[in-house]
Formats: sequence, C-alpha cells, structure tokens
Amino acid sequence: MAFAWKQAGVSYNKYLSIAAQAIRKSLKEQARAAAERRSGNELKVSRWENGKQGETKYLGTSEQ
Amino acid sequence: MEQLMSIDLIRCRDIKLRWDVILDEAGGRVAKTAVLAPSVPPAKISELQTADVNPPHPTTDHIPDLDQKSNFLPAISSLQSPTMQSLRLLRTAALRAKPMSSAIRAPVRRGYAEAVASDKIKLSLTLPHQAIYKATDVVQVNIPAESGVMGVLANHVPSIEQLKAGVVDIIEEGGASKQFFVSGGFAVVQPNSRLSINAVEAYTLDEFSLDAVKSQLVEANKIASGSGSEQDIAEAKIEVEVLETLQAALKA
Repeated sequence: MAFAWKQAGVSYNKYLSIAAQAIRKSLKEQARAAAERRSGNELKVSRWENGKQGETKYLGTSEQ
Repeated sequence: MEQLMSIDLIRCRDIKLRWDVILDEAGGRVAKTAVLAPSVPPAKISELQTADVNPPHPTTDHIPDLDQKSNFLPAISSLQSPTMQSLRLLRTAALRAKPMSSAIRAPVRRGYAEAVASDKIKLSLTLPHQAIYKATDVVQVNIPAESGVMGVLANHVPSIEQLKAGVVDIIEEGGASKQFFVSGGFAVVQPNSRLSINAVEAYTLDEFSLDAVKSQLVEANKIASGSGSEQDIAEAKIEVEVLETLQAALKA
C-alpha cells in the first residue's frame, strides 16, 4: 500500500497537502475555522523591468 | 628444531611491538612471546622472555611515551597464548609507567554533563505556523515512519525518516503520554539526542470530530471507486488512507 500513490505520479509534497487538507476538514468546528483560514494561498505575479513593476496578474487561490 | 617466526609488528611511535611465535617441527605452536623494543633482532626464547622486563635495549625508557597504549593493549589481551607469562610481564611494565586509567577500561570518554542528559531526548515538533515542542526533554517518541512505526529513545542512531499520516506518541517526563495526529512530514534524529519532527498539520486527538471524518470518508471512497482520472483516484486513495488511519486512532 505504501507508495501506491507514488506510482500514480503523485509527489510526496502533493501527498502531504492532501493529508493536511483531510486533517483540517476533520477538525471540530472551532479549530477547523482557524485552520481553513490558514490553508488558502493566493498568488499574484508581476514582472519587474528597468526598476519598474509591470502589470500584476492574479493567478487565483488554492482554496479547495 | 625449534624455529622462530615473527608474525606481526605494531608500530607505536618509535616502539615496535613484535609477536614471536615458536613453532615446533610439526608446525604446531608451542609458545608465543611479545617484545617491546625499538628493534629487537630474532633471538632465542630465553633472551626474548627476559627482554620484557630487563631488556638488553633500553625499552623501559620508552614506555612512558606510550600514551597511545590503549591502541595496542587490547591487541595483546585478545590473543590467546599457551604461555602468557611474558605477555603479563609486558603488560605490567607498560601499565606501571602510567597507572590504570579509565581510558583502558572504557575507551569512550564520558563527561558528567553527558551522563546526566543521556536518558532524555530533546524533541522539537514544528509546523509551518506553530512550534508545539521546542527542544523539550521527553523520554520516548513513537513516530509513524514510512518504513513502519518506530520508537525513538535517547541516543538513537541518527536517521532521517519520511512520515506518513499517523499518530505521533510522545511519552513525556513523568510518564504522561501525549498523542498528536500528524499529516506526515520528516523526522530527523540528530546525533546529540535531538529529534526534530516537521509536519504540515498536527492536532491532538480530542480536536477531531469523528462525524466529520466519517462523512469525508464516504465521499473519498466514492471518488476512489469511481471512474475519474487516474490522478483523481490516486488522490482520493490517499485521502481514504489518511482518514481510515485517523478513524482508527480516534476509536482506539
């Protein structure tokens, strides 16, 4: 059973994020609210050229 | 005719320790002697045996230099000889130079501070957002490594273990035990009785809701046995595995 996910091309990093997500969702109400707030990630990207920030692109959130 | 054969030479600074084995005609070993001298030419047995205590060469002058004697003394004692007398004389002569020190009986040097802290392990259980334990002295930690559950006590062999989702069991000083369900991560056992566990999430068992686990398990099982992509199924199977472990831990 161990490493069955590895054969399906899932990395250990991905394994960890799935496990962590499952744990957060299994918590009791109060703790879950605090944990879910933490779990989300947002990503914004912008390119700097000649010392000036270019256009900012919003790549979305990882909230599941 | 007796025949003299030198079988080994151990160099210890400028002093040579030579083992002489006396063989009889049939090749059987009748006697073995050791000579401590800068250089002793092959000689008759009587000379060799007296050479140990009253050598023709000034060997005793060199003995105080033998602060490395622990290197060769075990070599002497490990050899079996029919006539151990000359060895004993040699040993006495060597030891007389410097009284029997603890270095001979226990080659590993131990300081007082080490001896006191030796039965505790310093545990650090850290998450990206919180340090649950910070170099705290505990007695034992059981970790769910990929290779199986392992218990870590003080002076454990240094190792790095990849963890899977499971219960980390911490036995604190005084015998109280604490259980955390961790998502997986890495446990690093360092040489100086330090254990660092890095995990993404870790919660005590009373913070989980069994109902939430059960409802998630139903959902994950549906996806795992469904007709989704291979990636989806693999991820759902991980979820099932994690939740089943969690469920078992909560019921226990």
